[in-house]
Amino acid sequence: MELNIEHIYDLLISSVLIGWFICTLICQFRSSKLSTFIKSHLDCFGLVPLWTFFAPNPGKKDYHILFRDKNGDEIISEWEELEITEERSAFSWLWNPEKRDKKILSDVVQNLVSHLPYYRNENQSTNLIMFSMPYIIILNVLSHYHRRTNFSYRQFMLAESSGYLNETGPSVILLSVFHKIQ
Amino acid sequence: MEPIITISQLTLLLLSIGLFVSTLEYLKKVEIFSVTGLSTWNVMQLRWYKNNNHFFNHLLSNIFTVRGISLLFIVRLIALAGLFLFPFASPASWLLLGILLSNLLLSSMITFYGSDGSDQMNLLIIVTLFLCTCPFMGSLNLTEKGLWFIGLQSCLSYCVAGIAKLLSHEWRNASAVRDVFSTKTYGSAWAAKLLNKHPVLNFFLCWNVIIMECLFPLCLILPWPVASLFLIWGAIFHLLTTIIMGLNSFFWAFLATYPAIYYINHQMPWHLF
Repeated sequence: MELNIEHIYDLLISSVLIGWFICTLICQFRSSKLSTFIKSHLDCFGLVPLWTFFAPNPGKKDYHILFRDKNGDEIISEWEELEITEERSAFSWLWNPEKRDKKILSDVVQNLVSHLPYYRNENQSTNLIMFSMPYIIILNVLSHYHRRTNFSYRQFMLAESSGYLNETGPSVILLSVFHKIQ
Repeated sequence: MEPIITISQLTLLLLSIGLFVSTLEYLKKVEIFSVTGLSTWNVMQLRWYKNNNHFFNHLLSNIFTVRGISLLFIVRLIALAGLFLFPFASPASWLLLGILLSNLLLSSMITFYGSDGSDQMNLLIIVTLFLCTCPFMGSLNLTEKGLWFIGLQSCLSYCVAGIAKLLSHEWRNASAVRDVFSTKTYGSAWAAKLLNKHPVLNFFLCWNVIIMECLFPLCLILPWPVASLFLIWGAIFHLLTTIIMGLNSFFWAFLATYPAIYYINHQMPWHLF
């Protein structure tokens, strides 16, 4: 068989597609050393998908970020909510830009929640969670949100609620320390 | 025109519609990339800078500003519109596909929080079509392999989603759909109340999704009149999740894989002989 540039390219791309499909198979369901290696070292751009939509744990909660302020004299404001979880419009089947904020918040909170057991481990200090990326994301947004001139410290709370049916009351996921905001 | 080319073009055009809307939605919400936003580069860069490379730090910090990201999205919209103007697999179309691919890869550096399954499917299809339809080195044989890859990934996605649901207690006891629909993030008040009032409907929806998703790969091998029922089910399923859950981009991204499934199904021996 004559091996020209087209054949070489064909072989190369076919191998890439086969390898990609095998990586996709490996990265579904349980995480293993191999899947962790693929996700953290090979898949920089998120090309290996995870197809387990809404399973095994369907997203049953709405997440909320609340915050309150104080100044040096311990004057504490009421809890306020960061406005993200708003109801969708009647045209969201066609045009739904709000889904991005909600998905980011949902991803960030789920990421944070998944890290909590690690930080609560006896060998770890819970305070280390303040160096995690999801924590910094939330803190960054809140440190710029609805700033008041006479308050210089802000605390936030992550909470979850069960939405429209309201069968279980809201609960706290995480309560931060007061952070100095500038 | 070769059927493989027509089918690949249809895949790309269906995907383009969804990606166009999705990009416009990002443009509407571009403030999330500002220094005060949820996806600011000031924080997102922490994922990338393991080595302190000043050149890339400086370059990316300039790109991932509100203005830079807006420009990135506008270029994407132009590339998507251009795909409708040029014949598929022509040098111009392939160049636009390359621009689109680079654009998506670059923006994925800052959108890793908030991207969903439709973004993954879009990227997967665009990479595949770009690699397999190179006008200088590609061939119809390779384009065919690309369609097989897209079709198999699509079937894998449904099947994995179905098996994951089958393994989930909440899906098996038929509470999952009602619970998801009751959230303000993915649900609707009317749908949650309806399912709460009619548990039988909830049971039907949960098990309908589990069974159909698990069996979906059969659409590759069953005779076309039966296989097409799976695709009709899939289209209705995505339409309902679009209407009730607001997942509009999933509809176009997954519908875009159906021409590839049609192609694979018609490659089966009982169609060929």
